[in-house]
Amino acid sequence: MNGMAGVLRRGEMRDVMEKYVRPEKNPGTACSGCGLRLAHRKVLEAIDELGLGLGDVVWGTGIGCSGRQTFVTWKGDTFAGTHGRVYAMATGLRLALPPEKRLILTVGDGDAFTIGFLHLLNCARRNVDMTVVVFDNLGYQSTGGQYGVTTPLGSRTDSSPYGAWEPNWTQGGFDVLRILKEAGATFLARHTVLQGHEPVESLKRAIRNRGLSLVQLIYPCVTHYGAQALGTRDLAKIYDWFRDRTVESIDADSSDSFTTGIFHDAVGSRPEFAASMREFVASVQKEGNHG
Amino acid sequence: MKRTFDTGNAAITEGAILAGCRLFSGYPITPATEIAENMSRRLPQVGGFYLQAEDENAALHICNGGSIGGLKAMTATSGPGFILFADPFGWAVSSEIPVVIVNSQRVGPVSGITGAPGQGEFYFSRYLTHGGNYETIVLAPNSVQEAFCLTVRAFYLAERFRTPVTVLADQMVTDGWETLIIPETDEEFRGMGLESVPRRIHPGPEFYPASDAIDIPPVVLGHNTGAACSDWTPTDRGHDTEDVTWQHKHAWRLIHKIRNHRELIDESETWFLEDDPEIILVAYGTPSRVVQSAVRAARKEGLKVGGIRPISLWPFQDALFSRKASYLTVELNWDGQLVREVQRAAAPGSSVHFWGRCGELPSVRELLAAVRRLKEGKALERDGWRTEAW
Repeated sequence: MNGMAGVLRRGEMRDVMEKYVRPEKNPGTACSGCGLRLAHRKVLEAIDELGLGLGDVVWGTGIGCSGRQTFVTWKGDTFAGTHGRVYAMATGLRLALPPEKRLILTVGDGDAFTIGFLHLLNCARRNVDMTVVVFDNLGYQSTGGQYGVTTPLGSRTDSSPYGAWEPNWTQGGFDVLRILKEAGATFLARHTVLQGHEPVESLKRAIRNRGLSLVQLIYPCVTHYGAQALGTRDLAKIYDWFRDRTVESIDADSSDSFTTGIFHDAVGSRPEFAASMREFVASVQKEGNHG
Repeated sequence: MKRTFDTGNAAITEGAILAGCRLFSGYPITPATEIAENMSRRLPQVGGFYLQAEDENAALHICNGGSIGGLKAMTATSGPGFILFADPFGWAVSSEIPVVIVNSQRVGPVSGITGAPGQGEFYFSRYLTHGGNYETIVLAPNSVQEAFCLTVRAFYLAERFRTPVTVLADQMVTDGWETLIIPETDEEFRGMGLESVPRRIHPGPEFYPASDAIDIPPVVLGHNTGAACSDWTPTDRGHDTEDVTWQHKHAWRLIHKIRNHRELIDESETWFLEDDPEIILVAYGTPSRVVQSAVRAARKEGLKVGGIRPISLWPFQDALFSRKASYLTVELNWDGQLVREVQRAAAPGSSVHFWGRCGELPSVRELLAAVRRLKEGKALERDGWRTEAW
């Protein structure tokens, strides 16, 4: 299959963009050839296929490429958090919002898996109803290309000029999604944006879940990861590298590949935090003053 | 009226609940832990949420999140937690979101002494986040009853100004036991000079106008207003921009919505200022209680002494120091903080001096001795410190 044809269905892109994205923020801030727009579009497609309208979703963003691409793009209610703390903010917001509102956060791999990981783990522990979509560009690209915890080992970046050697959370037997599973998340999936509709299906399942969902969407960065680690800004070559590295199995060996699919589906298996909080408060009020 | 005997921690809890606080998030820390404990018991009784956070940074972010969902929210901490607020405090300042922060100051820096009073965050409470370009409101109680009243006031000002408001207490105020009077009806509430405004909802999607206007409802998400809430430099649509013109408008609004409404914020107590004082003692928080006694004792000795207690610390009340005099600040720190601001504000020709200690209060006797030395033109000394250098 020609990967380009699979991802750039422009008519469709315009449709969900026109429906949900503020016109002045379309096409957004991403570099030419960046996979972010595809990632952004996958989320919008999932929302669209679920039949959700502007009033059904509150959209939050983090910092970095993903934050700048998606911040205040949603025509409905939207907010931007501080770097790595949007999970804590969303926890407070979740307590205030009506339960039926879907809370979607689009963040980067640095935001979710490093600076914000403590807060994300605690959201998983509590099973707070939110969908975290991690737009993973394999490192810190908005600051010019430094390695992160999803950067493949050996990658040359501006902060790993001899090749990234620090253990990461995607190779060597580690998987960041396993940590989140152990912490209590109820839906976890990983895809690349070059995969056709599978990411959209996972996103739909994630958004429907009344609990902590996280979908890791790996996408190609042309300007930094491509140029620095892959030695090319040629879109076709970069996309080929991504496709060659993608395995359509979540259980496969991840030492040289992006393992993709649904990692953990425990939808409905645990009480949701805000609902439990409301039940608890109601029970205290019903039983009277314990003062 | 309900008359009780309780701690400052309990007073702050009851003040917050009466002001409409329905979300508290915090992390246990001496000496503010009892605020969290009291909240965990009281909030569910009134339909509110108590949420113990993974750290103080998360705690204030959780409060911010609750606030943009429409809940009045508060957190409480002490120095080592206060430092972790830089990030969410800045977010609330720039996003213009009401939230209340309590800091019970202890001895620092860092862990210092947990269960003793300090006053090391006078400037830090003003500059709690990076980048400047904002003004902030800080209130400083010196009693259990005032801790109650100023907590109510903090919520009131936070709503009207769409900004975080800090209650800067100290360990003795929050741990101390005193008589506490709590109003039980609206009439009693108003009779005590207390005010409250409910949360209103910004109609959106336009962002706040480029003006110093207050009483504009803050952004609340979830009402399909198309509201955008963010700490990025906003345009009138709430979008981020790298344009310095919009940044200037934003900074001007953040600074002047507060500075141009000082009459709603400024609060102080003074002693013998109209009786020709030559020496004026200055203190906030618990040390001001000793200062008040020392000023009275000095007057009995025939010394021309007065006293100033700023109740609202920030914006700083320069006008209180318009009299030419010899000022002596009494602070619970060894490095001298309030003294620097007094020196800046004092009338030309004034001399400004510092008497500091940390972890324990001065005695009236010690302050009187300092006053006499000042009167005699002698240098001040403090425990083991050869001069008052600051």
